[in-house]
Amino acid sequence: MLGIGTYLALASVLFGIGAVGFLSRRNMLVQLMSIELMLNSVNVLLLAFNRAYPGNHDGQVFAFFVIAVAAAEAAVGLAILIAYYRIKRTVDTDDATLLKY
Amino acid sequence: MSSLMGVSPLLLLVVAGLSIMIIDAFTSDRKELAVVTAVSLFMAAALAGAMLVGPELAPAPELVTRYLAVDRLGLFFDVVICVGAGLSALLAGGYLREHGFERGEFYVLVVFTAFGAMVLARAVDLLSIFLGLETMSLGVYALVAYRRTSARAVEGAVKYFLLGSFAAAILLFGSALLYGATGQTDLAGIREVIAAGRADSILTILALVMLIVGLTFKVGAVPFHMWVPDAYEGAATPVTTFMSVGVKAAAVAVLVRVLVGAFGDPSTMSLYTGWTPVIILLSVVSMVFGNVAALAQSSVKRMLAYSSVAHAGYILVGLAAAHEAGSAAVSSVLYYMGAYTVSNVLAFGSLILMGSKGKEAVSYEDLAGAGRRHPLAALPFVIGVLSLLGMPPTAGFFGKYYVFSAAVQSGLVWLAVVGVLASAIGAYYYLKVIVYLFMREPEEGSPIAVPMQSTYVIAALVLAGYYVVRMGITPGRYLDWAVSAAANFVS
Repeated sequence: MLGIGTYLALASVLFGIGAVGFLSRRNMLVQLMSIELMLNSVNVLLLAFNRAYPGNHDGQVFAFFVIAVAAAEAAVGLAILIAYYRIKRTVDTDDATLLKY
Repeated sequence: MSSLMGVSPLLLLVVAGLSIMIIDAFTSDRKELAVVTAVSLFMAAALAGAMLVGPELAPAPELVTRYLAVDRLGLFFDVVICVGAGLSALLAGGYLREHGFERGEFYVLVVFTAFGAMVLARAVDLLSIFLGLETMSLGVYALVAYRRTSARAVEGAVKYFLLGSFAAAILLFGSALLYGATGQTDLAGIREVIAAGRADSILTILALVMLIVGLTFKVGAVPFHMWVPDAYEGAATPVTTFMSVGVKAAAVAVLVRVLVGAFGDPSTMSLYTGWTPVIILLSVVSMVFGNVAALAQSSVKRMLAYSSVAHAGYILVGLAAAHEAGSAAVSSVLYYMGAYTVSNVLAFGSLILMGSKGKEAVSYEDLAGAGRRHPLAALPFVIGVLSLLGMPPTAGFFGKYYVFSAAVQSGLVWLAVVGVLASAIGAYYYLKVIVYLFMREPEEGSPIAVPMQSTYVIAALVLAGYYVVRMGITPGRYLDWAVSAAANFVS
């Protein structure tokens, strides 16, 4: 049986990959995917911690809510991205320069 | 006092939101949707206000299930959020019709977003904090993108959405770590475990940092403010108004609950350990940067966006004082939030009033000479910026006064001095509005913005203006509410 540290490491690596992906990629769709990866790393973490506190199922229930909210977030986000694409014909963040200083 | 009664403002908003959807589906004429929305929100505010003020109705802090609190802090923020949202809906009723993009879903989104904000302000569990935050944020993202054919609106929405989701993911990771460190998801349980010294200290510190990042992002404090000017400028002005009052209020409420509630143990709240130095740092950079950046703006809307960053800094000053001044500091934050809400509605509302179809007033140039041509329309603008600046006798003056005196009480005299100096910088750009209104003439041949004729906008301005002046002349009564709210919350 793997210890809690292994799961913590896995979740941190996933979260890190997501965060680095979000910050370094210039394509908004890839950024959205990176955010999803970060949310999923949280799910891994919640489930792992729940095993350390077997008295209740708070962590597992929390993970279900995270999944549901991530779906809603993707729906709203993709809708906004489509509206953006219709106007700009690109989803590259470097072209989002209309509003600045 | 049943706990169901305590959440009645939230239930009322759910019913109102669903009803507005149905009304919108079956009528072709959307004329009165703004009124229906505003009236429902004001009713919710009145309901919460009655429970907040009425002594026999005063609820003892209690929980609805284990996720939502019924306490005076929650009721206070119900009032602030609903008043802010109701006034924004009235402004929208004038603005959207004047500029020809009124659609029913706007009002539905405002009501449900206000609902999310109220859930967030009452959340006492990591799960309900996350749900409230997302309910509110998803609504606001959609509201910013509401004018979907405008490149600026959609670009603002894209930036806000991406950064907001990133911040929410960080907050969520922090929540999961906190659950791992303490084995609890409710704030009271977390506090107990931390006080007993049973929490894993490394995980707790990491979690605290991530929670602060996620929450101060929503408040709009430097260095997590990047989205504020873009989203504020891109969004339609009534949406900007709502974002700057409702969303910020809810974020402040949950910041109080998490920091003073869950992390209120002396080991995590003193001046040298825990979150206090972090909040002090954030407040200083927000006040200085917000005010300096606002100086450089040529758009009034963007100036008000940076000024809202600066105001986030003043609010954090009050929060930073909580380690020593306790509930007096929290009450100053609450009063500030109330004063800021009405002042900001007044300033943004006046900006809306100054433009009409074809020519919106956005930049300083658009305001040139408008005060001399239409003195009555310029009056609310003058009161609004003076209150944001903190001139007596307006609400903003007492807001700043209470916050800074809380800082002095807790021994942070230098922080209060920095705050006063920063607001002195603010005088330049707030007074610039008045200078342009009354002492400049528009350039030859440039299009002139004409004030719009709208009873809704005027009604919102009269209401907001009344409370700005009222809170500036007799602040005691409102401060009493803030004090009773700060002393009575489930933590």
